[in-house]
Amino acid sequence: MEKLPSHTKARHFGMVIDLDKCTGCASCMVACYSENNVSFRDEESIKLLSINWIQVYKITNGKPFPDTEVCYLPQPCMQCDGKDFGHPPCVSVCPAVATDFDTPTGIVSQIPVRCFGCRYCMAACPYHARKFNWWDPVWPADMERYLSPDVSPRMRGVIEKCTFCYHRFQRARQQAYYKGDAENIKEADYQTACTQACPSGAITFGDMDNPDHAVYTLKKSRYAFRLLERLGTQPSVYYLSTRKWVHRACDNYLEHEEPAAFAGKSA
Amino acid sequence: MKIDRRCFLSLAGGLAVGHLLTPIPWKITDDIAIWTQNWPWTPVPETGPVTWKNTVCTLCAGGCGIKVRTIRDRAIKIEGRTDHPVNKGSLCPLGYASLQYLYGPSRVKTPMRRTGERGSGQFEAISWDEAISEVSGKLDALRKNGRAHTLACISGSDKGTVPVLFKRFLDAYGSPNFIRTPSGRDAHEIAAYLAQGHKDKNIGFDLENATFILSFGCGLLDGSGAPGYQFNAYSRFDKGRTLVQVEPRLSNTAARAKKWLPAKPGTEGALALGVAHVIVKNGLYDADFINGYAFGFEDWTDEGGNIHMGFKSLVNEYTPQKVSAITGLDANAIESLARDFARAEKPVAVCGYNECKPSANIDKTLAVHALNALVGNINQAGGMIVFADPEYAVSEVRKDRIATEGTAKPRADMAGTDRYPQSRYLLDLLPEVLMGANENNLPVQALMVTGANPVYTTENSETARAAFAKIPFIVSFSSFMDETAKLADIILPDHHFLEGYRDVPAPDGVGKAVTSLSAPVVKPQYDTRNTGDVIIDIARSLGGTIGESFPWKDYDTFLKQAFKEHYRDLSRNGYVIHAEKPLPWDRAFATENGKYAFYPTRRHAAGTDDKSRLPAYRELDIPGDKANGTLALIPYKSPRIAAGAVANPPFMTKTIDANVLKKEMLFIQINPETARGLNLRQGDTAVIRTPAGEARVRVNLFDGVMPGIVAMPAGLGHTAFSKFIADKGVNVNALLKPSADPAYGLNAAWGVRASLQKA
Amino acid sequence: MSTQTDNTSNTPSNAPSPKKGATGWVILAFFVIGFGFSLLGGWVGFPNMLYKEVPHPIDFNHALHMDLVFDGCNSCHYFRADGSFSGAPTLNECRDCHQFVMGTDPNEEKFVEEYVLQDKEVPWNIFAKQPDNVYFSHAPHVKGAGMDCAACHGDIGTSESLRPYQENRITGYSRDIWGWEMSRLGEPKYAPRMKMMDCVNCHVEQTDSKGSCFQCHK
Repeated sequence: MEKLPSHTKARHFGMVIDLDKCTGCASCMVACYSENNVSFRDEESIKLLSINWIQVYKITNGKPFPDTEVCYLPQPCMQCDGKDFGHPPCVSVCPAVATDFDTPTGIVSQIPVRCFGCRYCMAACPYHARKFNWWDPVWPADMERYLSPDVSPRMRGVIEKCTFCYHRFQRARQQAYYKGDAENIKEADYQTACTQACPSGAITFGDMDNPDHAVYTLKKSRYAFRLLERLGTQPSVYYLSTRKWVHRACDNYLEHEEPAAFAGKSA
Repeated sequence: MKIDRRCFLSLAGGLAVGHLLTPIPWKITDDIAIWTQNWPWTPVPETGPVTWKNTVCTLCAGGCGIKVRTIRDRAIKIEGRTDHPVNKGSLCPLGYASLQYLYGPSRVKTPMRRTGERGSGQFEAISWDEAISEVSGKLDALRKNGRAHTLACISGSDKGTVPVLFKRFLDAYGSPNFIRTPSGRDAHEIAAYLAQGHKDKNIGFDLENATFILSFGCGLLDGSGAPGYQFNAYSRFDKGRTLVQVEPRLSNTAARAKKWLPAKPGTEGALALGVAHVIVKNGLYDADFINGYAFGFEDWTDEGGNIHMGFKSLVNEYTPQKVSAITGLDANAIESLARDFARAEKPVAVCGYNECKPSANIDKTLAVHALNALVGNINQAGGMIVFADPEYAVSEVRKDRIATEGTAKPRADMAGTDRYPQSRYLLDLLPEVLMGANENNLPVQALMVTGANPVYTTENSETARAAFAKIPFIVSFSSFMDETAKLADIILPDHHFLEGYRDVPAPDGVGKAVTSLSAPVVKPQYDTRNTGDVIIDIARSLGGTIGESFPWKDYDTFLKQAFKEHYRDLSRNGYVIHAEKPLPWDRAFATENGKYAFYPTRRHAAGTDDKSRLPAYRELDIPGDKANGTLALIPYKSPRIAAGAVANPPFMTKTIDANVLKKEMLFIQINPETARGLNLRQGDTAVIRTPAGEARVRVNLFDGVMPGIVAMPAGLGHTAFSKFIADKGVNVNALLKPSADPAYGLNAAWGVRASLQKA
Repeated sequence: MSTQTDNTSNTPSNAPSPKKGATGWVILAFFVIGFGFSLLGGWVGFPNMLYKEVPHPIDFNHALHMDLVFDGCNSCHYFRADGSFSGAPTLNECRDCHQFVMGTDPNEEKFVEEYVLQDKEVPWNIFAKQPDNVYFSHAPHVKGAGMDCAACHGDIGTSESLRPYQENRITGYSRDIWGWEMSRLGEPKYAPRMKMMDCVNCHVEQTDSKGSCFQCHK
């Protein structure tokens, strides 16, 4: 008997964030909270305890007034491929198989109910992308009414993180199946909530292996780089910036080293 | 046969071995594992068919089209509507978080009557009938006492059908005191009146098509003004387009601008004149516009034969060197800015709107308008656009004798009086008037508040709170328990915007004539009513000519009637564009000679000489004396903090950086150089003192702030709403103080003098 | 046992015989009793304790409806335009036909009087209900793999009366998920079982892969 395909065709989803465009408005953060049933508390200013799937950091070039420059750096889960396309740092350490590498999409999963809260993955992640539920989430007043059925609300004692809105991929795939062509998922059919929410168009998302998708070209830009790239985590999130100091700020360069995009140039 | 303990041990052994061969241990382990995944307190959201419904966000005046994902009368998610002409899909964090207001703890769920001390927050729930009869009873008594003119209404907007109903109510009732909260619109309205002869028109900027935006302090990317429109215009910025930001602090807008020009605060007008100087001197202006459609550019002679100075002569003295000395900017930078601006295909200069603090500097606004006129970019694509709102089809209001007499009385806020004849609303002056009057002579005996939160947003807010608290009867129409509602005697809660109909007029600053319709997405969650319906009911129960002035069955009927033939499009598409093209130059100006007035002859000025009419640069002193305050406090707008009538929903507060707000302490930003002088370090606690008050704050060192400036985020320090925002940080309005423009009464101060001392 | 023998042999023979212990057979008998009791309790008593019978709010007659509708199962259990599946019909959908009592069936009368007229959703027992962390979509199975409804739901579509519904007292889910046979061996009594392993087995059989976590979990 002919076997059915285990999955629709393999893809490698990735994101390219233009740091020269990001205004630091945090629409991506709020859209993500709302899309993914992220909880909140009345005290959120202790950031180590705060749950964010995407966080916008503010970095400066350190120069005095008026030569100061600011760059906003949105940081979701990097969805690392890790060694040999399948061994991100967090997946390798999880003793509960609560997180795995989704080979058909290149997305690192996280199944909160399977997690028992050891937080090894949190320690393993160099990007602080994983957040722990120190408390049971509470939605005050009637706020439970806005919860989305697409993402399961978490409980105390488990890890959660950005999933590249995997449920939106499921939604797109479901519709493709329904329409009779499971392979036919277009770029616009699957976009993460933050990509869609960015009011200044700084985020681009798509299949990095598909030449028809914008990310395919963008990630090859001379000015593209990845966060702490030299750790070898192979993130699926690329950043763009024409500013050298931004490249420098995003990896541990030694004094004499030049970011690749600027090597041999006096920028 | 003996039975001893060994038998029982054996029995136990048999039980133990046996049960391993049954499903008990395995099944129970499995079931318990599943049980722990389903705590009853962890919600399981219900599924169902998904529908998307279009509407418009009204949490600020930005008028963004949104679509709401709903499942069985549950609103799940908000996204920007990509086919809406204002925001084209872009939306700010407040819009994304607005469901937290729909279902959140700060909703006022029923009509309320105050039971405790004023401001204590103690209320009892009452029925709508009771609430309306109590309000109309009080208003009826006030009117019968011959004090109809002492009813005031503070509204967040003077456009749209609900503000129109309130104005109409005051007209029929007999009071002139409809007061819009201060906004960037004030100065633009006056400038448009002086230079173009327009009254009550919208002044917008076509940012989408402009190729060079010279922004004098507009927080285009800081979440103020019409954020969706501005963000979207910026998202279309490609390589050929430029944004230049003039501002003393490296804001989010300045960070994304091609060039940041940190001019000293209050000197923006001088910079505009300096730019004009270079343009004029090098003949880079639009000669066609200047020669054909403008007046007062050259020196001119009036009917009496007196020679007057023209705009050209005025700017002659504003050389780059002189402007450099005033603004602190490099003279070459000013020169090249002017050349780049004038040579751009579609340059536009913007100011006023969406500045964090709408300092109504008439000179600056006129100078910026003049820049747009110089390059002929008025009523052109990518330029400054003037257009009117659609006229509502509403019959004349019916007035009895009391109404006629009452509306003719001078306004409590002094707007339109001999002192400030060309101003329309002067809420900033009202607290002082109230504080100065004794209880019996109080010029405001009853106050209605709609779409505004003046107790929080008025500068010198503690004085404002005390002043408003003197008013014997306050009615709030707020959906949320805000600071003003907390002070009120009666709260008549409006629907959340996802629960009822409301027209949304063209947002201030947007360069197109779009009116939208906010339509219900879910059923009303609580016992609230559309404010439009409530004001009609109050008018009816007052009866007489007041009731007759409100002949509509309900607000929705009135809305349909007011928009006439536009209503179909409005309800079908969610918006109408009621003027496709702005008026051409030969019909654009309503001045006496039909030309653009570089010399504003109508200007009500402090002096009579030409320079006091022309938009010359005048150094403005800010409140406070230099002896005690060596620093200047300016508020700043963050896109992550809602600074208007509505406070941050929890999701937005969650996005605030820990060096802006940590626990209950707010951080002010100062330059490290300033900090050194004050012996302050990163994270130190300090006390900031201004003429309005003092507060404990923490210090965040930021190179992007001009030395000598203290920048404080606006929108924190709430005392109402819910525990998710109350008692976090300091309300910057409590430290600011308005200073009135001598001729217009509007608040012209850009900041306030302050001192900072280590605590 | 050897210890006991030693003890016995150590006792002086002239002394009165001490209490004689139980023999090996007796002890074995106790073991067997315990063993048997466990087996009986585990296979017969335990399921009856673990599950409780929950009556159906309405005894729905699928066969009767199948004769009256035009499009088989799809008439009431259909795909929505976005590819999602409607599941059990809501009251509004039922109301399209059942505004008033149309037949003589007491169940229909009960349905109309207790639910339709009182505008109350029927709290149907869902045999296939899964925990919230399970993501299941009908589209890939029905549209993609061409499975028919009975493949997972059994022959409920032709039944004249609903099969019994038993609820697990610990988890709250239907007995159908684990399967009515506690051993999970042999043909399922009513419909295929729906534990994660059942999904996995079928996926491995049909596609050679059980898939990754996100394929079926959220």
